Amino acid sequence: MQRSVSSSSLSPSVKMKLVNAGFQFTADLLHLKPLQLSKEASLTQQEALEVLQAVRREGGGGDEAGGGGGGESSSLTALELLQKEEEMKSIVTFSSQLDAALGGGFPVGKTTEICGAPGVGKTQLCLQLAVDVQVPQCFGGVGGQVVYIDTEGSFLLQRVVDIAAAAVRHCSLLVEDDEQRVAMETFTVETILSNMFLVRCHDYVELLAEVHLLPDFLSEHPRVRLLVIDSVAFPFRQHFDDLSQRTRLLNGLAQQLISMATGHGIAVAMTNQMTTRLSGGQSQLVPALGESWGHAPTIRLLLHWAGSRRMAAVFKSPDHKGATVQYQITSEGFRDVGQSEQPPSKRPRTQTVASVASQRDTSC
Amino acid sequence: MDWDQLELNPRIIASVRRVKLKSVREALCVSGPDLQRLTGLSRSDVQQLQTAAATACRRHPPTPAVLLQRGECGLRLSVGCPVLDELLRGGLPAGGITELCGESGVGKTQLALQLCLSVQYPAQHGGLDSAAVRLLPVCNSVCPVGAVYICTEDSFPIRRLQQLILGQSSLRPDIPRDLISRRGFSDHIYVEHAADLDALQVCLSRRVPLLLARRHVRLLVVDSVAALFRSEFQASDWLERSKQLISFSHTLHTLSLEFNTPVLCINQVTDVFSSDDSLGPVSGIVSPALGLAWANQVMVRLMMRRLQGTVARGDQSSARRRLEVAFAPHLARDGRDAAVWREGVLGVDSSDRCYNTQADVITATQMCYNTDRCVITQTDVL
Repeated sequence: MQRSVSSSSLSPSVKMKLVNAGFQFTADLLHLKPLQLSKEASLTQQEALEVLQAVRREGGGGDEAGGGGGGESSSLTALELLQKEEEMKSIVTFSSQLDAALGGGFPVGKTTEICGAPGVGKTQLCLQLAVDVQVPQCFGGVGGQVVYIDTEGSFLLQRVVDIAAAAVRHCSLLVEDDEQRVAMETFTVETILSNMFLVRCHDYVELLAEVHLLPDFLSEHPRVRLLVIDSVAFPFRQHFDDLSQRTRLLNGLAQQLISMATGHGIAVAMTNQMTTRLSGGQSQLVPALGESWGHAPTIRLLLHWAGSRRMAAVFKSPDHKGATVQYQITSEGFRDVGQSEQPPSKRPRTQTVASVASQRDTSC
Repeated sequence: MDWDQLELNPRIIASVRRVKLKSVREALCVSGPDLQRLTGLSRSDVQQLQTAAATACRRHPPTPAVLLQRGECGLRLSVGCPVLDELLRGGLPAGGITELCGESGVGKTQLALQLCLSVQYPAQHGGLDSAAVRLLPVCNSVCPVGAVYICTEDSFPIRRLQQLILGQSSLRPDIPRDLISRRGFSDHIYVEHAADLDALQVCLSRRVPLLLARRHVRLLVVDSVAALFRSEFQASDWLERSKQLISFSHTLHTLSLEFNTPVLCINQVTDVFSSDDSLGPVSGIVSPALGLAWANQVMVRLMMRRLQGTVARGDQSSARRRLEVAFAPHLARDGRDAAVWREGVLGVDSSDRCYNTQADVITATQMCYNTDRCVITQTDVL
C-alpha cells in the first residue's frame, strides 16, 4: 500500500504545495532530486531537501515493516488481545470486596476515576493504591513503582508512612516460604517511599507540562505500573474564561493518559470532585468537570456516604455490572468493613497465560 | 518567559514569534495539530516545541518520596496544648487550608489568637520560627516570625490578646521563662480589617505576599470567611459567589504552598433541615457554611461545638466544648473535649473536674473555700 503525501508528517503548507503540484503518494517523490522538486512544486531548495529527507526516512521504515502505512501500529487478532489482557494484572487493594466489584482490582492498562465529596476517602484510596502496587509478585501483587501527581497538597508523609507500615505488617504475616521471605527484605517502609515518585503541581499548566513529559520518564523507569493524579479537578476548576478551552484541554489530557496507559502498560487513577447540578427545581450531586470528561476514564468509581457508612459504587465499567460495596478507613488505610486482625485469605499466585488459555478451552 | 531561553532551533522560535504566541505556557494550552496549523511547522518541530515548553514550565521532575523526609515537609504548627496537639498529630499542617468552624461563641477566635502566639516560638517548641531562616540576607533585621490576622466581622479582640499574652507562661510551662518574657508578641501580629471582598483581594494580593516573602509571618488567619461571602451575595447570585470563592481560596492555597505557611480560615455554621445531605455522615443539626464549593478547597476541616456541662480547673470554670476532626488526609475522625480559660484554649485532661450542671460547680467552689484542701475529686462528681 502506498503512503499518501497528506498523511506524512510535513508542515501543512508544504503538503498543500506538493498536492497542488500533483504528487499524491510519497513513493512518487523518492526518485526526484531536490532541484527538480523545488521547481515542480515551487518550494525553496531548503524545503525540498527537508521533504526528501523526511520521505526517505519514512519510506525506508515503511518498506522494512512490509509496506504498512504509518509504521508504528500493527494489527492484532482478538485472541492476541485477550491474551495480552490476561497478562495484564490488576492492582490488588487490601479491600477484597472492592477488588471483587472491579473484577480483580484496579486494572493495569486502563484509566480509572474516583469521585466523591470532600472527606469521603478519595486520597486515602489513592495512597493505598500507591502502596499496594509495590506489593511483591510472590504475594500476588504487581511489584511496580508509582508516579504520584499531587495538585492539592494532600500528600502528607505521616499518613503514607502509616499505610506503608501497615502493608508491610500485613504481608509479613502471610510469609510462607523462602521466596516470600526474601521478597520481604526489599519490602520495607523505606523502599516503599523510595519507589514513589512525587510531583507537586500548583496549577493546570504545570499539570499539563508534567503529563506531556511523562512518557519520557516512563521509558526511563520501566518498572512504573501506576500513575495517580490527586486530583484532576482541583487545578481545572479555577476560573476559566473560556469553558470550551477547558474542555479541549481536558480532552487532550484524557487522550494522553489513555495512550500512556495502553502504551506503557500502567494503571491510571484520577480523583475528581463533586459539584451540584440544578435540574428543574432540584439539585443533584454529580462529578465535576462536565459531561465530556465523563467519557474519558474507562472505569468510574463513586465514593459516597449512606448515613454514617462509607460506600463505593462502580458506576461505569465495560466488563462488570455496577456494584456497591461498603468500606472503612482505618489507621491502616482503606479496608473492608468487618475485617479483624486475623490475616485475611491469601492472594493467589500469578497464573501463566498457558494455564488460563487451557482453562478457557476446557470450559467452553 | 522568554522564548530565547528555550533550547530550540532558531527557525522554530522565529515562527513562534511570528504567530505572536504570548508566553511559553500558551504553547502547552494549544493542541499539537492546532499549533501545526498556526505556525506552519512540521509535527516533529511542534513536538520539540511542546517538550521544551513543558520542561520550562515544570518545577522539578518526579522525586522519590523518601527524600521528603529530610525536607521541610513535616512541619506542624502546635496549638499550644498537648491534648489538642495529640488530636492533630502535631498541629496544623504547613501547606494547605485548615478550616475551623462552629457556632458563635464557641471559641474559634480564641483558638486563632492562641495560634498567633504559638507560631512565634522556635520550632522545637511547636512554633515556626527558625533561626536559620532569620539570618538570611533577605530579612534585613533579626526579627521573629509572626502572623497576619484578617478580620472581616468584628474589630480585632485586642484586650483578649493582651490577656492571652499575660497568660502564656502558665499556658506553656514547657517553654523557658526568658524566652516568653523577651518576645514582644503583639509586635508581630499584623491585623487587617477587610470589610468587603475588594479590600480582601487587595490585602491578599499585595500586602500579605510581601510579609510572607520577607519571612515576617508564618501564619495567615482569616476570621471569618463566611461573613464576606454570605453578606455580599443574594441568593440568586450563587454562581458569582462560587467564582469569587474559588478565586479567593485559590489565592490562599497558592500562598500557603509557595511559602510553606499554614492558613487558618474560620467559618460559621448553618442549620441543616433535610437529612438527605450526602455530603457527610449524618452527625449534627448544623453543617459548615458556604457549601460544597468551599468544602472542596479545604484540606483539613475542624469543628468545634459546645457540650452540656462545665469544666473546672483551679478557681476557673468554663463551659465544655469539643474539638473534632471532620476530615483530614492524615487524621482520624476523632475529637477531644476542651475548655476556654483565661490563658487560652486547653484540652480537658484527667486533672480537670467536670460537672454536668452549673449548680454542681457552685457547690464545689464553695466547698473549696470552706475546707483547707479541696476534697472534690472527679470520681465523686461524675
